[in-house]
Amino acid sequence: MLGGLIEANVRANVHKRQDFDALVARVGIWVTDIDEGVTLVFDDGRLTVYNGLEPRRTITIHAEAETVMSLSNLKIGPLGLPVYYDDVGRGVALKLLRGRLKIDGLLPNIGTLNRVTRIFSVQ
Amino acid sequence: MTVKVYSEEWAEQFKDEVNKSNTYKAAAKGWKWTVGLVVEAEPDKNFPESRGVVMDLFDGAARDITVGPASDAQKCDFVITAPYSRWKQVVMKELDVTKGMLQGKLKLKGDLPTIVRYTKAAQEMTECTTRIPVEWPDEN
Repeated sequence: MLGGLIEANVRANVHKRQDFDALVARVGIWVTDIDEGVTLVFDDGRLTVYNGLEPRRTITIHAEAETVMSLSNLKIGPLGLPVYYDDVGRGVALKLLRGRLKIDGLLPNIGTLNRVTRIFSVQ
Repeated sequence: MTVKVYSEEWAEQFKDEVNKSNTYKAAAKGWKWTVGLVVEAEPDKNFPESRGVVMDLFDGAARDITVGPASDAQKCDFVITAPYSRWKQVVMKELDVTKGMLQGKLKLKGDLPTIVRYTKAAQEMTECTTRIPVEWPDEN
């Protein structure tokens, strides 16, 4: 489903397409309440989706299914940064603070995370 | 009053539950597409023929919900398909609809970004089905 979501977003929005074309990263998403995950390998305009967590990931997101959906519902602000001050954004930020959303590799890869968030966002 | 699942009486009660829900009303504001639920046959569960639930939903309200052949539901803007026993898990709250979609247990056809934008509405809609007392064909 996540691969399909990215495909639809990139097809519908030229800015997301530009982000997608420029992104080289291995993004793991582990859905904690179903104990399943995927690795999304972005490689200069190509995306390969693997079941499970593959090695050498740039960032890995650990969250419940509902939070993964919330990440897709983050609004993107004028500078291309995710909006954390509306209801959805505050919910995501709180989960991060409370440890219910964990992002391995966050600090050295904030730019990558923002780009992935922009590609994911349906808002 | 208990009704047979996926019967016309069930559809009527489902519609009433959706229209009673303020949560759904708020979460589905702006929704303007039809949704079809395809319940695939499982003859060994005494559910011999696939059925389709057609939901005409508009801006937080259910204008009409009907039950008929699966082919009717397949013509909707969004179609969610699963076998009978999986839908039963959803209604019994054993399977969350978001998790089901992420896992591919509920197969989705339609514009994914739109569905993701209305995740809360989808969750509340399935929550409405849990409030209807039903008879299951495999429990008779």
